[in-house]
Amino acid sequence: MILKRILIGALLASASVAPAMAQADTDITVVLSEDLDLVEPCMATRSNIGRVVMQNISETLTELDVRGDAGLMPRLAESWEDLGDGSWRFNLRQGVTFSDGSAFDANDVKHSFDRVFSDQITCESARYFADTELTFSVVDDNTIDVKAEPAQPILPLLMSLVTIVPSETPMEFVRDPIGTGPYALSEWTAGQQIVLTRRDDYWGEQPAVTSATYVFRSEPAVRAGMVAAGEADIAPQISEEVADNRDTDFTYPNSETVYLRIDHSVEPMGDIRVRQALNHAIEREAFIGTVLAEGTELATAIVPPTTLGWNPELEPPAYDRDKARELLAAAEADGVNVKAPVEVIARTENFPHVTEVGEAIVQMLNEVGFNASLRMVEVAEHEQYYSKPYPEGRNAQLIMAQHDNSRGDPVFSAYFKYHSDGTQSGISDPKVDELIESATAATGEERAALWSELFAYVQQDIVADALLFHMVGHSRVGTHLDFRPSIATNSQLQLAEIGFK
Amino acid sequence: MTRLIGQRAIASLLSLMGLMILVFFLSRLTGDPAVLFLPIDATEQMKQQFRALHGLDAPLIEQFGRYVWDLVHLDFGESLRKARPAIDVVLEAYAWTLPLALITMGLVVVAAIVLGALAAFNIGGFFDRLVSVVSLIGASAPDFWIAIVAIVVFSLNLAWLPTSGVGTPMHWVLPVAVLFVRPFGLIVQVVRGSMLSALTAPYVKTARAKGVKNGPIIFIHTLRNAMLPVITVIGDQAAALLNGAVVVETIFGFPGIGKLMIDSILQRDFNVVLAAIMVTAIAIFLMNILIDIAYSLLDPRIRH
Repeated sequence: MILKRILIGALLASASVAPAMAQADTDITVVLSEDLDLVEPCMATRSNIGRVVMQNISETLTELDVRGDAGLMPRLAESWEDLGDGSWRFNLRQGVTFSDGSAFDANDVKHSFDRVFSDQITCESARYFADTELTFSVVDDNTIDVKAEPAQPILPLLMSLVTIVPSETPMEFVRDPIGTGPYALSEWTAGQQIVLTRRDDYWGEQPAVTSATYVFRSEPAVRAGMVAAGEADIAPQISEEVADNRDTDFTYPNSETVYLRIDHSVEPMGDIRVRQALNHAIEREAFIGTVLAEGTELATAIVPPTTLGWNPELEPPAYDRDKARELLAAAEADGVNVKAPVEVIARTENFPHVTEVGEAIVQMLNEVGFNASLRMVEVAEHEQYYSKPYPEGRNAQLIMAQHDNSRGDPVFSAYFKYHSDGTQSGISDPKVDELIESATAATGEERAALWSELFAYVQQDIVADALLFHMVGHSRVGTHLDFRPSIATNSQLQLAEIGFK
Repeated sequence: MTRLIGQRAIASLLSLMGLMILVFFLSRLTGDPAVLFLPIDATEQMKQQFRALHGLDAPLIEQFGRYVWDLVHLDFGESLRKARPAIDVVLEAYAWTLPLALITMGLVVVAAIVLGALAAFNIGGFFDRLVSVVSLIGASAPDFWIAIVAIVVFSLNLAWLPTSGVGTPMHWVLPVAVLFVRPFGLIVQVVRGSMLSALTAPYVKTARAKGVKNGPIIFIHTLRNAMLPVITVIGDQAAALLNGAVVVETIFGFPGIGKLMIDSILQRDFNVVLAAIMVTAIAIFLMNILIDIAYSLLDPRIRH
């Protein structure tokens, strides 16, 4: 596999091809890495579906500005207000129609959420409302009240995750999604292509792109080659090896964070000195520009720096092998079995060069005195180790995982990764639980401060895990397009943001 | 002949049933599709709902009984991930794999037999050496490498052919050419070897002594006798193509059965895995019957 990547990278790098325009007009072709199983609006938070559906075919009530600092912006809701007692009022945009010609109103909003919570269909966006019960009251066609129990202070932000469908949409996955967005699905040939066509009756500004054809190629070199040959205009995800053209290739933070999840309940990881030693043993800088792409950043939190409450005062643990050895020796002197086997478990193809990263980390750990080994597993097996219930009678395991949060708020990460009841949490700490619960219930500056405090506490005070890298992605964009990939490109690709030079 | 086909069909049906039982239970031992379909932070309730919706919460034997009952009614179940009938997904992909396999094998068989036979007849000569070198390179070169080189040369540098996709006949040229290389390399070697021994047979000397020309000696008298091992290798190579050509499908974005099968296995889309394996198995069984018929036509001893 590695040989294959190197060969492909070298071959394509050596191919001198002048980038050409795929089409002379305003139709574009986007080459994605995988075919879509579904083009279902309620699954649009899955990144490969979201890139096609989100804000292109289907829209949400609110929208988070992850590129700039505009925060939460209106979309299908023009404004919203906190009515107190967990209730929010959303004032809906008027004059909006779906692509089937029907008018958008409050009943559509209610139905869209009924669908998400229906037991006849498994919609992905339901996960954002796991312990919250929502009650919808239609005030009039353009006003809807939503009551959350328990109160949900970021309800308007959560509204940016649920796409709105017409109230006639059946309680099953649809193959002809109808939305209010600037584009409508005009063709879907499974395995081959999806075509979106611009609507003339869109409520907002007309985008420049008139039609977008999505095609699917698994091989990054082929995706890059298609843009180079003028067969496609954008390849949102290519690999670093083939991103060799400064005029067309962009590197962007892709909102993914790589870390080692530590299970504190298994020896020797219960001892904080062992966890500190582990953190000091890893020379994080050595990975960047070698096995990981230039532009990768060292992580100090499980969420990327664009997230609310990200703590700028935190520093990555210093690489200090002597200190790591001292810490281990001190733990051993107190009877901790620091030689107990430690398994680093990583997922094949989780990110580029994951095996090399795993091998290097194991080597670094063993150099300071750990007894570590690497196990590469495929996605389903990785999930068994990463999520509760953890296997009985296990050795100490460091689960190398990649976590994506481009939603702007740590609530989508903190509970799952750090709360005692979190599905992937390796810790059980009352203060962490309390901080997460308080921050989840707080708003404004208080919320940001509580998240900051949580990040400092887990990284410095209890050394919950080994945070490693904020990753980057690579895109190739035809030179005739006015488009710059950003952190949002990982989960959506709004055609309305693409212009022509 | 009819009896032979009947026997083969019954044996194939039994094998097919065995295969179905094996794949049904083995695939379900490999993990829970709910955790792969749903995001990693999905609640347990969501996972249970997914299992209930797709009948995955029932005891395994009950699931099997239901599957067999549906199968008797020609219902292969629904794809867990695509929310469509599994058989539709599979047949759509097979509609691409089958012509790709047939076109490729057709070209391979004609080219390998003609060139292999001529090489054997000119043993040691320039043509023989050329065919040997080319076919050995073809049999040994990794197909992903050939595919990428072909894209770089013919699509990017020369701009003669599209890089990938399936839109026009031109899109088929590179996938067929890349798939052609390896089976051609193998079969040409087998034809050459088999022809070499056939050409030394006494009946060839007799034919020559009687003044029969080279053409009829090669293509009428010798080739038929040399074909039995060749047919075996052709069957082997064709079976590999009928299983899908994962590398070529992956690189050229060709929506065939190979990649569908790999993806479905990784995603634990059980019904698609089962339907794909059954359809592929049926195709291979049918091809084996054709090969048996070819054997019996070529060698009357097998018929009796």
